[in-house]
Amino acid sequence: MTSLLGSMISTLGMALRYRPLIGVSSQVSKANALFNPELTTVRFRYHADKVAKGPVPRRHGYEEKLFQSGLLPRKVSVDKALPMPTYKPKNSWNEKRALFGQNDYIDILGPSNEISQKTLHPTQLLYHVPPWLRGVQGNEYQVLLRRRKFVQKKGYALGHPTKWATLNTRIKKLYTYLNHKTKSPFWKHS
Amino acid sequence: MILSLYGAWQKNCGGAFPPKFKAPRQVWVSNMDTVEEEKLGLIDLHPEVFAERPRVDIIHENVRWQQLYRHVSYANTKMRYEVRGGGKKPRQQKGSGRSRHGSIRSPIWRGGGIVHGPRSPTPYFYMLGFNTRLNGLRSTLSAKLAQDDLHIVDSLDIPTDDPSYLEKLVEERGWGPAVLFVDDNDIMPLNITAASDSHGHYNLMPVYGLNVYSMLKHHTLVLTLAAVERLEERLLFHLNRNDAASAGQKYKLDSV
Repeated sequence: MTSLLGSMISTLGMALRYRPLIGVSSQVSKANALFNPELTTVRFRYHADKVAKGPVPRRHGYEEKLFQSGLLPRKVSVDKALPMPTYKPKNSWNEKRALFGQNDYIDILGPSNEISQKTLHPTQLLYHVPPWLRGVQGNEYQVLLRRRKFVQKKGYALGHPTKWATLNTRIKKLYTYLNHKTKSPFWKHS
Repeated sequence: MILSLYGAWQKNCGGAFPPKFKAPRQVWVSNMDTVEEEKLGLIDLHPEVFAERPRVDIIHENVRWQQLYRHVSYANTKMRYEVRGGGKKPRQQKGSGRSRHGSIRSPIWRGGGIVHGPRSPTPYFYMLGFNTRLNGLRSTLSAKLAQDDLHIVDSLDIPTDDPSYLEKLVEERGWGPAVLFVDDNDIMPLNITAASDSHGHYNLMPVYGLNVYSMLKHHTLVLTLAAVERLEERLLFHLNRNDAASAGQKYKLDSV
């Protein structure tokens, strides 16, 4: 009995650190504190409560070197305001935005020609798109080939020699890249 | 003057045959002469145009198409051989102790060319299927009617060209902040044109200009009787045409 008690008291260590026995001197009381079937430990600390109080600090001991406290005042002169433009909200109801999309369904809702039974197509109304690019869907190589086809008729080579040269160079380079360097079908790469 | 069901049908659908198991939707016809609303009569709206179950995914596709198909990106970056300079080897291959380079405009250099950057002009054009667009119109019109955002008026003639008349009218009737007036003719009466000119949110449109984006942008859609007739005639024509296959073919470039 005493040896068992002795061994239990000698291994007090961790247990007694959290439950200090104040004013207990006798070995019997200490033993009771260690092993008493009538007593049980009750949890009173929860990590959730700690988290609820505020953000749990991480990286204990780490010192942040970056300035964390908000905007830095930067004034060239005390009287002059900062050179930021005044905010002007965009006008959602100017003519362009209010009538956006008008005539997109002209082939469905528009009148058809009595003789040919044909209607206008929305591609014919793309006035702000270059004429060779209207209704064009393709990758860079296809677009450039079409541009060259349209542009050479109008004497582009004479009027814009550098751009004509750049266009042809780009087409040649894309040809070599797409045909010698890529294995997938050409319409998969841009 | 409340019109009978069949009589109204004959009058307002241009002789279109009513579908068997779908009831027409009845709508009041108002006036534009006075600020207060006066109900002039009832008309029937064809259910296949105005009472289709609204498909939100089709409406979304239509809006996306309208926004994208006319978009061209003019963003451009130069490749290494387009950037000015960079023809000469910066230093000898060996001996200097520094890294080896062939050109100062290589992509790894500051100020060098961009390898896979945007190349101007990049078109985002694509054509949505004919029936998708058709059904987009039907869905949007049905949604507008179902949500009480569709009103029918006899005509767009107003007594004055005063902008405040329109404001009061719209306010009185509880029409949305933004109103889209649709008529059959593309030349609108003078008074309403003058009155709505100063307001960006009151817009006039002919039937052929109607589109899903505009109908969604404006809170209220106001159609004249003539516009309703034309709209129904056009949409029902496309729904019941014999050569629908040829109309619904894929768009081919330069075929127009």
